Amino acid sequence: MAQAQAFETDFWKDENLRKVWDEIVPGQPRKTIPYLLTKEAIALLCKAVGETNPLYLDEAYAKTTPWGGIIAPPSIHILLMFSCTEADDWMRSPGTVNAGQSWSYNKPARPGDTITLQARALDKFIKRERLFVVHDNVFFNQHGDVICSGRGQTIRPM
Amino acid sequence: MTTTFETLSVGDNIDGPKFSVSRESIRLFCDASLDYNPLHLDDNYMKGDFGKTNFGGIIMHGMNNFGLITRMLTDWSYPAGAIHRRLETRWVKPVKPGDTIQPVGIIKAKQVTKNSRFVLIDVLVKNQNDEKVAVGEAMVEFPVAAAAAA
Repeated sequence: MAQAQAFETDFWKDENLRKVWDEIVPGQPRKTIPYLLTKEAIALLCKAVGETNPLYLDEAYAKTTPWGGIIAPPSIHILLMFSCTEADDWMRSPGTVNAGQSWSYNKPARPGDTITLQARALDKFIKRERLFVVHDNVFFNQHGDVICSGRGQTIRPM
Repeated sequence: MTTTFETLSVGDNIDGPKFSVSRESIRLFCDASLDYNPLHLDDNYMKGDFGKTNFGGIIMHGMNNFGLITRMLTDWSYPAGAIHRRLETRWVKPVKPGDTIQPVGIIKAKQVTKNSRFVLIDVLVKNQNDEKVAVGEAMVEFPVAAAAAA
């Protein structure tokens, strides 16, 4: 769990540094940081959803498949979203509610990949007294290949 | 029976894995996703109102549904030489400790494109009371050439 130790798990701590809905500028890139994906991080995400496919976990087996080695499940962006952003990013604002998303998958992420993120708010709006932000996210590997791209909406805390 | 693009029919079902939700499973998902939003950790915080909504206690990450649907789709795709290409989801109802959830899929359409073949799948996650907690749509590619691991 070395990864979680280096990560600030108290989302209240940096709350005053984060942008609220009023301050989020659609179109403005978010600060992001590169992240080295490990076998262990993949295995932990698999464990959290009961995933046992050896393609994600067993290098000897994965080598015999067309993928040629361990790959991460497509849903790895669940982890990457928080790994590639900093503590002051507004995705961490307590009370942020995920209101739906769509993700497209191109190439699988692999252990040892250094993953980068290009992200921004694309739009914001108000609906039924709720404050929404539309997110636009693309993850790349160290070769510049797109891993996956996603669009999502969150309801911002008031 | 091996799934192939040719033999699939609109209306065919995919059954996903049942998943028991507990405080421990939610905590594990925090550690695995690094999403430590107090929605998933802090019962006191969850006693408060969120606009017009009151959850009454911690709730499961919506993305846990997403991970389970993905598990169903990749377990179904890989043996067929198919590739999971897209998933769109929306949460309908919060999931809480003690719930048991299960993703299912229903083949909605087949589409041949210039270079490949795609299957569209309606997906949903239901709880132990047969209530929908998440809905969405997925797209799986069945490449014409079998060795298409890109």
